[in-house]
Amino acid sequence: MFKYVLKRVVIFIPTLILISILTFALSKMAPGDPVKLALGNTEQSGESGGSGEKMAGEKAYRAMAEQLGLTLPTFYFDFSNAALPDTLYRMVKKGERDNLERLISMYGNWPQIEAYFHSIKQLEFALLDTKQDSTTYAPGRIIRENTGRLLLEYKDRNVARYVAEITEASKQSPNFNNVRIAADKLAANYAAVKAKATPGKNNIPAIHWYGTKNQYHRWLTNFLSFDFGISYVDKRPVWSKIKEAMPWTLLVNVIVIFLSYILAVPLGIASARNKDSIPDRITTFILFIFYSLPTFWIATMLVIFTTTDEYGMNWFPTFGLGEVTPDMNALEVFSERGFHLLLPLFCLIPGRLAYLSRQMRGAVLSIFRMDYIRTARAKGLSEEKVVWIHAFRNSLIPLITLFAGIFPAAISGAFIIEIIFSIPGMGQVAYVALVARDYPMVFTVMMFSAFLTLIGTLVADVMYALVDPRISYK
Amino acid sequence: MADKKNIRKEEDQSYWAIVRRQFRKNTSAVWSLRVLTFIFILGMSADFIANEKPYYAVIEGKTYFPVFKGVGVDLGVAQWPKELSNVTWRELKYDKVVWAPVPYSSTTNDFKNSDYKSPLGEQNIESGRWRHRLGTDNLGRDVLAGMIHGTRIAMLVGVISMSIALVIGLFFGALSGYFGDNRMKVSRIRIVLNILFLYFAWFFAFTTRSYLLADVLKVSFLGFFFQFFISLLIFGGIMLIPNLLAIPLKKINFLGKTIEVPVDILVSRLIEVLESVPSLLLILSIVAIIEKPSIFIVMGIIGLTGWTGIARYLRAELLKVRSLEYIEAAQALGFPEWRIILRHAVPNALTPVLISVSFGIASAILTESGLSFLGIGVPPEQVTWGSMLSLARGYPQAWWIAIFPGFAIFITVTIFNLIGDGLTEAMDPRLKQ
Repeated sequence: MFKYVLKRVVIFIPTLILISILTFALSKMAPGDPVKLALGNTEQSGESGGSGEKMAGEKAYRAMAEQLGLTLPTFYFDFSNAALPDTLYRMVKKGERDNLERLISMYGNWPQIEAYFHSIKQLEFALLDTKQDSTTYAPGRIIRENTGRLLLEYKDRNVARYVAEITEASKQSPNFNNVRIAADKLAANYAAVKAKATPGKNNIPAIHWYGTKNQYHRWLTNFLSFDFGISYVDKRPVWSKIKEAMPWTLLVNVIVIFLSYILAVPLGIASARNKDSIPDRITTFILFIFYSLPTFWIATMLVIFTTTDEYGMNWFPTFGLGEVTPDMNALEVFSERGFHLLLPLFCLIPGRLAYLSRQMRGAVLSIFRMDYIRTARAKGLSEEKVVWIHAFRNSLIPLITLFAGIFPAAISGAFIIEIIFSIPGMGQVAYVALVARDYPMVFTVMMFSAFLTLIGTLVADVMYALVDPRISYK
Repeated sequence: MADKKNIRKEEDQSYWAIVRRQFRKNTSAVWSLRVLTFIFILGMSADFIANEKPYYAVIEGKTYFPVFKGVGVDLGVAQWPKELSNVTWRELKYDKVVWAPVPYSSTTNDFKNSDYKSPLGEQNIESGRWRHRLGTDNLGRDVLAGMIHGTRIAMLVGVISMSIALVIGLFFGALSGYFGDNRMKVSRIRIVLNILFLYFAWFFAFTTRSYLLADVLKVSFLGFFFQFFISLLIFGGIMLIPNLLAIPLKKINFLGKTIEVPVDILVSRLIEVLESVPSLLLILSIVAIIEKPSIFIVMGIIGLTGWTGIARYLRAELLKVRSLEYIEAAQALGFPEWRIILRHAVPNALTPVLISVSFGIASAILTESGLSFLGIGVPPEQVTWGSMLSLARGYPQAWWIAIFPGFAIFITVTIFNLIGDGLTEAMDPRLKQ
């Protein structure tokens, strides 16, 4: 038995790794610059102050990027092409890096593109160090705006226009000595990029190996040591937010699954024993309706009709879990929470119950067709004994295997209900994070739900082995 | 005459004929199929039933057919004449006019009836023809028109997402079910070459074309599918090379030694991974990283994540089918494996897939309406059943917005579930006489 469980656990490891890669890949594809989001989206204007302040801004950016591990390569290796340098990941700014990749895909000559890119930066600093007066204001603005655009532009037509505008503006002030030199260099470097283009290099495949110093490795090891990063929104550690949310999700789901099983088993057996009788038909019909009812529709209807004064039926609380003060005793806390959980549970149970009792009915019916049931009846056992001693245990087997499938479905289903009723569980947390584009939160919740689901599957597997002696543990 | 009838009856003992006969005995499933046909037609002809444009109009002596023209404009084959572009159709002066049965589109804002007008209460309208039969929402959009156009979205979601799921699910299900863990015997050289060339194929089909694909996706879906198809052609073309190369090379003893590829384990693991992430959360996270929301992307994602059920059912059925005599006979005749799979094995294992598709459509519609209910992944101006239902949360007085769209979702889901149930029963061999 122990060996069997151990084997199941070992099988989880590749599954978990695959899930973690999937989650990580999704988090990498998320739009927006993670460093800026983590810094709180404060744009360094750079309009006033010299190059020193700009440098300070860049430094803060770099420090944050390093803290988030974004200065590392993404994965253990990458499949790229001969034109892309293997050091491109050091360019921490996502927008600029994407733009460089674009340029490389167009021209394929990294040395020239690198020189061009540096000349943009040099121009920026040259401009910041220029003495300001009335003659520099208007052309300075043109240059500043255009250098900013150049960092994010790859289309030749636009780049040529910006460069031309910069060259033109740099001639307009006597203070622009250094700027003019930088601008000329920029124009020359861009011309060199175009003149020495080797786009063919993009078609030569190349593999770069980076070793364990990469973002995924870091992310995964952090994850395993319960360090999930910091929420963009309130700068709290993700783990502390998850820790608060998870018990609620688990509580709701455990109650729902427990009650559904408790109710479904006798219901399924009763309706199988009285197959095709009128009560069976009625229950089957009602359960079928329960099964097809969208939970968010029932929830919306209940919220509208039973929690507002509009229709004179303001019986239940609309949102949240109620207020619990320290001086309340256990019973009061229980009734307060229970009262608030009543509607959410009422929305979630019918669907699960219907599904389970349908399956139970089917399982009992197929057991009834077995030879050993006929034998039991033939040897004169009472119907009660046939059902409870011979049929019952065997009909539980499919119900237990269903547990593995019910668990993720229950978590998914509870998400939307948590959102509607503002239960501060994982669904609510994930939704709030999604709307606020708080990606560390979103993807941690995703990993956690997958993890919970895997545990659910494991529990189902072990119970399956316990109930059915035919299953070998090998 | 009587003889002929008997012969025909006896001929009709094919599997599908039996299934069809059994299905017809199930009244609720048959009725569901009828209602489904109705809903489907309603959805597909939504533009002709609920439209702010008239069918036929004579304006200043000129005759127009605005509804039909509108369909042409949407398809990109026609253009509005200057006098009709950006007009408020209701306020034009007509000599003669024939309106659609519901004279509102799902996006028409009737400002005179904004802020939730009840279907039973008073409405600010000129005549009964303009009455909002199921009320309006906060922006004065007609609920009935929204319901009709929502039907089309729901049908599209079901059909498109399940088509995608079907293609992927059939592929993986057939692979793992037919080959299992020990049937796919491949020579060493073929495995090595295939893995090697998989990299090149991926590189030339997708990596080098990634910017091209991304750019064209921003412009149009049609162009994207065309370019994607070209990528697939390149991919297939490159993958041909290792398989052709392997034919002469495997004559060498060492290279030609066969290995069993554990296809089933690999596919089962993939399914396990996908199924262990709660589907709603997976879809939400994918939708979250898409900057420009679109209903078609949602359909694609539902399809890409929803194929596991189909693959599992097909796999289970094929594991049974593959050891039957006629498959052995086909193998003994020396048919190539792909032919046995496509012509003999899969067609006989399709029935459980049909059940899975039927339930799959129900859950796809449910997922999409759940997403639009949460307002995620669907553009705000798109009217769907879910998005209408979510409006009711903010305004409890509007019972009509809570009841009708929710009921539509419920009925559609029920229908597909009933059909799935009917199919399950019809295919149950124990019920066959």
